[in-house]
Amino acid sequence: MSNLGDDFSQFDISKEEKDKLVAEVVRYILFKTHQNSGCPIKREELSQLVTKNYRHRSLPAYIINEAKAKLSTIFGYELRELQRSRPSSTSHSRLSQQSGVDAKSYVIISQLPAEVYKKYVEDVNTSHLTGFTFVAISIVQLAGDNLWHHLKRMGLHETDENHPVLGNVKQILETLVQQRYLQKDKVSGPEGTTLFYELAERALDGTVSERIKQYISQIVKKDDATVDIL
Amino acid sequence: MAVLSWKHHTLIQSLLERGPLTEKEFHFIFTGITGQNPGTHQGKFNDYLLKINRELSYVQLDLRACRDPYDGRVYFGVVNNVSDDQSKLGTKYSVPQIAFFKAIVEAIAQDVTAEGTICNLDALNIKLENQVLNSSGLQSQDVPAAFKNFTMSHKEKTLDQLVKDKWLCYTEDDNIGLGIRSILDLRSWFHNAGVPSCQVCNEAGFKAKLCPNDGCAVRIHHYCLKKRFYQKGMLVCPSCDTQWQYQPPKAEPIEVEDEETEPVQSQPSSNPGPSQPSLRSKRKRQRLDNVETAGCSSQASGANRKRVTRSSAHPR
Repeated sequence: MSNLGDDFSQFDISKEEKDKLVAEVVRYILFKTHQNSGCPIKREELSQLVTKNYRHRSLPAYIINEAKAKLSTIFGYELRELQRSRPSSTSHSRLSQQSGVDAKSYVIISQLPAEVYKKYVEDVNTSHLTGFTFVAISIVQLAGDNLWHHLKRMGLHETDENHPVLGNVKQILETLVQQRYLQKDKVSGPEGTTLFYELAERALDGTVSERIKQYISQIVKKDDATVDIL
Repeated sequence: MAVLSWKHHTLIQSLLERGPLTEKEFHFIFTGITGQNPGTHQGKFNDYLLKINRELSYVQLDLRACRDPYDGRVYFGVVNNVSDDQSKLGTKYSVPQIAFFKAIVEAIAQDVTAEGTICNLDALNIKLENQVLNSSGLQSQDVPAAFKNFTMSHKEKTLDQLVKDKWLCYTEDDNIGLGIRSILDLRSWFHNAGVPSCQVCNEAGFKAKLCPNDGCAVRIHHYCLKKRFYQKGMLVCPSCDTQWQYQPPKAEPIEVEDEETEPVQSQPSSNPGPSQPSLRSKRKRQRLDNVETAGCSSQASGANRKRVTRSSAHPR
């Protein structure tokens, strides 16, 4: 670790400049995460913080790695990289993506043990949202093109703007799309265009997807393999 | 080599995720993860905070404590020290909303009576155009459209959101005061804006008691006054020698905890209030001893309207 830390000399910047850049990136990540409620941050945005003043080609990668280390040592946050590996099955027109490029994005995830997080850190005022996120992802995992049908069975309607706990249900679903748990796709079918939902990169991320399968199988009381087939 | 452990991280993350916490809540976390009470292990607690702040300084953040002048309680929070491009992102509020908030803060801070509040009606009547003029001397036709279109209902919604996010608070008498986030965050702003400090603790005295002698500029926070009064039995103005009156609280039991608070002030905190009720009813219960009355005579109808829409069940 210390070796890598001293390697910035190859970039022709001083330690102070390096520290300043790393701090900027860390701050950007923290503030942006707060501003957009946990929507992933594009790698491009982070690189830009570096390249706007410094030309060295591999400096952004180095700085981002340093920032990742600092987020972990100072805050106990992991900078998780999400791969947009599954483009939407229909055309890209709805989502603004870079053509062809595997756009990396980042979210920060607490590295604290789950019990500690739950007891001391979790904001209980938002647990209803986390709960809903889990439910929505599970349903999409099992039956993606029928999300609203299943939500209706639980008493959540598309037109409902005043649900006592969730408020505007449709808006919350939109937030899940922005946070990249889900993605929306339009399909032109015989009845006109229908909207259906797929899992997006945040829900497809290894640990998340594993946990969800575990929980689903607990609820359904079947084993993991069967869940996949559904 | 890891300087901070998961325990330090828990403390930091709890403040980042949950926002400012009361001393009680924060100490609860500390006790839970270290097994030691900050009250009895002051040194260890301070050590933790010192270590945390050393690391946080790398990113110009600060874990600090301050006392809320409205309820006298100490709160902890993580605060940003530098206003740069990144921090300007860290807000969900729009430009006119921020201008509106700024105007309210200024009005409260510059109130010569040091009530620490602005009445609801005055807040809603704030003209954003004046904000623009004040800051950059622009002609009125240069006022952005967003400012001109900032309606009364926008202002009301913004007020509600600001209170919910703890930048502002609703006080007992249906006025608007500064929320705990503002108090944590704006410390240096208060000093720069020339808000007179409390004679006792030297923190900003935008909500404080003024010396009864009109010609004297001394002001002292209510809780600072209480402490002095109990210690010495009476208070004489340090600057003009006038005697200060002090009325002890009528309803709340006198419990002055001897808990030292870290790192800024060392005053006892007396907080008989419960921890989680809605903002407005919490303030009501704390302020039964309140001597002041904010004087907004045309307040009545506005206040009634508000009380109906907010369903906090306080017995009025």
